[in-house]
Amino acid sequence: MVFSSLTFLFFFLPLALILYYISPRSIKNFTLLGVSLFFYAWGEPIYIALMIFSALTDYIHGRIIGRFREQRPLYAKLGLVSSLVMNLAVLSFFKYADFLIGSINSIIGTGIEPLDLPLPIGISFYTFQTMSYAIDVYRGKVRPQKRFVTFALYVSLFPQLIAGPIVRYEIIEKELMNRSFQLSQFADGVRIFIIGLGKKVLVANTIGQLWTSVESQGVADLTVFAAWLGIIAFAFQIYFDFSGYSDMAIGLGKMFGFNFPRNFNYPYIAKNASEFWRRWHITLGSWFRDYVYIPLGGSRKGQFVLYRNLFIVWGLTGLWHGASWNYVLWGLYFGVLIGLERAGLLNWLEKLPRFVQHAYLLIAILFSWVLFVFEDIKEGFRYAQVMLGLGGRPLYNTAFLYDLYTNGILLLGAGLLSTPLFTLLWKRCVKRSEIIQNEWIQTALQVIFFMSILTLSTAYLVDDSFNPFLYFRF
Amino acid sequence: MKRLNTIMIVVFIIFISSIACMNLLTEDQSFSQAENRPLMQFPKVSLDRIRTGAFTKDVETYLSDQFVHKRFWTSIKASAQKTMLKKDNNGVYFGDDGYLFEKFVSPSEQLDANSESISKFLEKTKGVSVYGLLATTSIEMYPEKLPKFAQTASETDAIQRVEEQVKGDIGWIEATAALKAAKEQPIYFHTDHHWTTHGAYVAYRATMEKMGMTSLPTDEFTIRTVSETFRGTYDAKANDPSIAADKIDVFEPNFHVSYDVDIDDGESERDSLYAWEFLEKRDQYSLFLGGNHRAVTIHSNVKNGRKLMIIKDSYAHALVPFLVNHFEEIYMVDLRYDHRSMAQIVKEKGIQDVLVVYNIANFAEDQNLIWLRQ
Repeated sequence: MVFSSLTFLFFFLPLALILYYISPRSIKNFTLLGVSLFFYAWGEPIYIALMIFSALTDYIHGRIIGRFREQRPLYAKLGLVSSLVMNLAVLSFFKYADFLIGSINSIIGTGIEPLDLPLPIGISFYTFQTMSYAIDVYRGKVRPQKRFVTFALYVSLFPQLIAGPIVRYEIIEKELMNRSFQLSQFADGVRIFIIGLGKKVLVANTIGQLWTSVESQGVADLTVFAAWLGIIAFAFQIYFDFSGYSDMAIGLGKMFGFNFPRNFNYPYIAKNASEFWRRWHITLGSWFRDYVYIPLGGSRKGQFVLYRNLFIVWGLTGLWHGASWNYVLWGLYFGVLIGLERAGLLNWLEKLPRFVQHAYLLIAILFSWVLFVFEDIKEGFRYAQVMLGLGGRPLYNTAFLYDLYTNGILLLGAGLLSTPLFTLLWKRCVKRSEIIQNEWIQTALQVIFFMSILTLSTAYLVDDSFNPFLYFRF
Repeated sequence: MKRLNTIMIVVFIIFISSIACMNLLTEDQSFSQAENRPLMQFPKVSLDRIRTGAFTKDVETYLSDQFVHKRFWTSIKASAQKTMLKKDNNGVYFGDDGYLFEKFVSPSEQLDANSESISKFLEKTKGVSVYGLLATTSIEMYPEKLPKFAQTASETDAIQRVEEQVKGDIGWIEATAALKAAKEQPIYFHTDHHWTTHGAYVAYRATMEKMGMTSLPTDEFTIRTVSETFRGTYDAKANDPSIAADKIDVFEPNFHVSYDVDIDDGESERDSLYAWEFLEKRDQYSLFLGGNHRAVTIHSNVKNGRKLMIIKDSYAHALVPFLVNHFEEIYMVDLRYDHRSMAQIVKEKGIQDVLVVYNIANFAEDQNLIWLRQ
């Protein structure tokens, strides 16, 4: 079940809220755990066992590490290693086994059968969360959780379970054990959730159709402008999809009393790749920084170690996004960019006018999405060639003009929504106008705004389910 | 700000829970007229279905299928899309004057294979007069009504390609030119992929001419409007309630004529070319001959001994009511349901004329013409 579905909005969510808020305080965690497990089991009836297993082993590991970290550091270290091995083994087996088999087969020509296991939903997220927990307990940053229900709730908490943000234990430790209902927090949750829903349903899904339409024309018939238009559409699709999903998660978290960290901060207004990654999927970037890059020595151990570390971190970041070489390449592409920026490109860029810096970043990002979106790397390169005008293709044709003007408003809207422009304008209006400061007017405006988005999103979702059987051409 | 927050929360909760309650309390529908399909009922529960996830998947389909007031919601989306200058939905273009058009995709190799099938059929039916009628669809007829820069392949080129590819003795009926000459008349539906009886009449005259027969002028018929509420397949795809419904005209002969219609070789019989009950349903085009059947035999009171076989898609259904006035027997087969050897049947029944009727969009993709090769 995804958040942007009729089942979630009009069945699961009302039910979950009712159950949670009628539960007495002492069993609220228990209720929320039950609700979360139900949510997970809805889409993954079998793999729920895997998640519970994962929660249980990490709970035990946490206890062991906590117990021994002062008296017997060696035992604690063993506990940590065992936890990491366990998590990575689970993740590798389900996510990367077939990738490994495929790679081995193609390199040494063996014929090992792939496992064809379906990927357990959210496994990339929850294994990263539990690893951070074990490491933080070992480092003494957090105390091990003694109650299993509380810990299992941390692992399975449904708002952030399937697509992040990656919430570290330390961030919600207090809220897991003790949280109180706050009107403003719940209301913020409603607002953030609706914004996220709108981003996903109204922007990402609709602009995604433009990308699909360009992609379906086939690289062989693509014109130069259409290739750019297509990848721009994809850039918007992935941003609004992913950040919309994160917003929904954060909003839902607030409705149940949790404050998750922000995951996106207008990434497309960045001026360089390093800044982009401080604004894009923030919780993943900081995870790799704190648990891989810095332990490896970061930038403090000389040039060689720095570039080696960048290579490792960005290769892994790429691999995390999917079990295929193009993702690795995509990650390394950013590794190279960030390496270059560190080596002096950044100093040089900063002397240039700001719009040149923005243009540099946006073009770099668009080419990165080409790597990302084509699992077939050769196909991706052909697409990039067309973009660069090396394919001997015409600049544009009427199909491009049609796509451009029928999606013009959507593209413009998506572009503006990728910047903080509207938020800033609204804040300014509120500051300057006493009428808007009036609480009733403010209330009316907000209710109309958010309910319009909710209504429109519902309409788009219902339309998706409206599947006329076309006695077509019969 | 306390009031603001309270109201925000209350409105949100009311919104989701009231729709949830409405869905819960409204009685389940078994069939959707608007979508022309049965709706998902509450799925069967079994341990096995829960384990494989089939149960929850079906529940999701059930909940969205049974969602209340779907038409209301879809019309909101349609207006939103229009405001955004969207000019198509599900591959259907919003044309001028309330016309919906389906994009014609460049034909694949299937088209060439179908031409080949016809050539094979011609080899097996030497001595029989075979005619071919490939009809254009509305998009070819009204390019000026398409949205600016809208893309579609040429149906005329595709028809020409077939005519060049088919080897053997076949009389191609020049329907495109005749239809183009009559394009100011309502020869195609606005909301459906079929031609109207007016379009079929034009094609009928062209057919008669090719066959060397005399067609009946319009004043031999009374044109009666039998429906003004027809929303066809394009409408279902475009899903825009602001598009006006089509009307269906029927040409009723002013002279005395009677028919015996036999469906599927004796399965059922009727004495009318029209299945009026379909006017109560969404699929109103099935009014003509009751929609698709494997084989339909029509005997008329024209006792001239002529027998015509029609190998067809549904474009023939509006055409046949004109042709029946010239043949004692019409044997109409649909290759999608009938996989017998047509050449054999031609011999057995002593059929003198064969007419192949398809619209080009369907002909380019239909995978059943292969049965003609046997």
